[in-house]
Amino acid sequence: MNPSTHMVPVLRSGSQILIEALQNNGVKQIFGYPGGTIMPVYDALVGSGLKHYLCRHEQGAALAADAYGRVTRKAGVCMATSGPGATNLVTGIANAFMDSVPMVVITGQVPTALQGTDAFQEVDIFGITMPVVKHSYIVRNVSDIPRIVNEAFQLAENGRPGPVLIDLPKDISAGMGETIETLPAPLPEASKPDPVAMQQASDMLSRARRPLVIAGGGIAISDSVGAFRAFIERTGLPVTTTLKGLGIMPTDHPGYVGMLGMHGNGAANHVVQNCDLLMVVGARFDDRATGHLSQFAQSARIIHLDIDPAEISKLRKADVAIVGELKPALEGLQPENKANATWLGQCAGWKKEFAWRYDAPAKGIYAPRLLRDLSRAKPEGLTITCDVGQHQMWVAQHCSFNDPLEHLSSGGLGTMGYGLPAAIGAKIAKPEDMVICVSGDGSFMMNVQELATINRYGIDVKILLFDNSALGLVRQWQEIFFEGNYSEVHLDDNPDFAGVARAFGVKARSISEPEEVSQALDWLLHTEGAAMLHVAIDSMENVWPLVPPGKPNHKMMSAKTADQGTGNGK
Amino acid sequence: MRNMDHTLHIQLSNCEGAIIRALGLMERRGYTLKTCSVGEPEGVGREMEVTVTSSRSGDLLKRQLERLHDVFSVELKPAEPIKPHSPGIRPINSRA
Repeated sequence: MNPSTHMVPVLRSGSQILIEALQNNGVKQIFGYPGGTIMPVYDALVGSGLKHYLCRHEQGAALAADAYGRVTRKAGVCMATSGPGATNLVTGIANAFMDSVPMVVITGQVPTALQGTDAFQEVDIFGITMPVVKHSYIVRNVSDIPRIVNEAFQLAENGRPGPVLIDLPKDISAGMGETIETLPAPLPEASKPDPVAMQQASDMLSRARRPLVIAGGGIAISDSVGAFRAFIERTGLPVTTTLKGLGIMPTDHPGYVGMLGMHGNGAANHVVQNCDLLMVVGARFDDRATGHLSQFAQSARIIHLDIDPAEISKLRKADVAIVGELKPALEGLQPENKANATWLGQCAGWKKEFAWRYDAPAKGIYAPRLLRDLSRAKPEGLTITCDVGQHQMWVAQHCSFNDPLEHLSSGGLGTMGYGLPAAIGAKIAKPEDMVICVSGDGSFMMNVQELATINRYGIDVKILLFDNSALGLVRQWQEIFFEGNYSEVHLDDNPDFAGVARAFGVKARSISEPEEVSQALDWLLHTEGAAMLHVAIDSMENVWPLVPPGKPNHKMMSAKTADQGTGNGK
Repeated sequence: MRNMDHTLHIQLSNCEGAIIRALGLMERRGYTLKTCSVGEPEGVGREMEVTVTSSRSGDLLKRQLERLHDVFSVELKPAEPIKPHSPGIRPINSRA
């Protein structure tokens, strides 16, 4: 496929051609780390006008590019040298792949003549990343660079987005070649929803007595939030969301029953288990959302809307599938009846019964209450980036979101260490918005070196670090499922986090008492420049409710019950 | 679901990595490779005929293959109960 438009031949080095091709595709920022085989590209970078952010580990660069891609819906670009530089990118690439994030990855490679000889810093990154990229290239000719770059951006950003890798041998990046300038390839025509399936879906929605909609991350990815909300207002259907769907409906919307799944809200899990029709929009029946799959929404017929045909009936058979762009499908669905009042009343009852409570006695600072308070105090346009663990689930449960881009979380891969570099990428993508990284003491140490990136570029991100001196979620599972046989989860030897932050030039303070919370949050939100609030919490605090692995969603454990819980949280 | 044999006829690009990308996807997605033949017909690209064994749907594998940029088309032949290798066809894995 080469739909590029040919223009005037110009002599350029491979690296110059690459830089120009990136700029032709709208790239203004790159996250990366230099090294041997990528040096010709870094040479061409000087004076090019492209802004390069030197992260302090290639994984940080890839995760920052991921967040940049999520926020802008344009491919975030990251770059590293061959060998360890390239392998350090892999977690970030996989993270983008699992969450369908547009990304273009450029890796240096040993010269073509040395490939396959176990040369210094040679790894087959093309082969290593094949399972976690949407597509990948090894460049064999200088003249191929513009076409490959154009294709890479087109693939990364269109359809179901994902990461695309370009492996660039040093003889290609350093070599000169007569090549042609190209214009970006034209976009493929968007697929239209099948009218027969659309009519069937509308009929099923009209007839359903207990309908429910699951809103997934695909709605945000496809920029269909407005169309989705209009559909919900038109039909009055109750809505639950996946982790990646948070914010698609405003948290305080009356028809929103909360997030479903392993650490979802009790109301959402009861509504989904009792519905007779499930319309799944831009979601993929992830095991963390469904619990025991064969017992998931057993009485429900399924309408599945997704741009990716390979997601249809992958895990749960769809009775009606609508494949293609979500926006026209949502706009075209016209059920005759609105959701019935009896069912909506039942949903409202569950919502009231399982509303989060904050009145439980807690030892020290209670993280869920602090997050609720943060959510109430937050300014407009606040983006929260999360790491992975207990704090991530507490954010999902207790923070309010009015837009899916207010919440950036590693959903599919569950990457500890995502939060800090993601905050960097998000802030660079939307400098006018406040960005807070909510992290835990385990996750934070995974990419703590990115404090240096924040300091180097004066990036104004806030950090809220919950420190329970443990790998909390693993400790919780060992407590519940391994009879309290704690294995390698205690982090009593954590560093002085506030001291660490200050050493990197980031303002910091620590709190440990509930009466300090209000003033400390105010300090965090109103301090000029990067700042960290370190919050010591009880190491035995758990995330509730919890659907045990292999159980259906309504069999939630809570603090008070073993396996038949009311899911009322603490 | 019981295991079935699924045979797919795949037309794909002759770009670097196209064959290994398609075969790798099959194994990663839970389909055991049984036989494979690759040809380079006149015109553009290559063609492969692959038989895999799995309890998973052949149609799902077809759709997963079709989303690869290197793959032009996939034709799925009707699923068959597992059968021993025919004489003359060399299995990919001799232990299979």
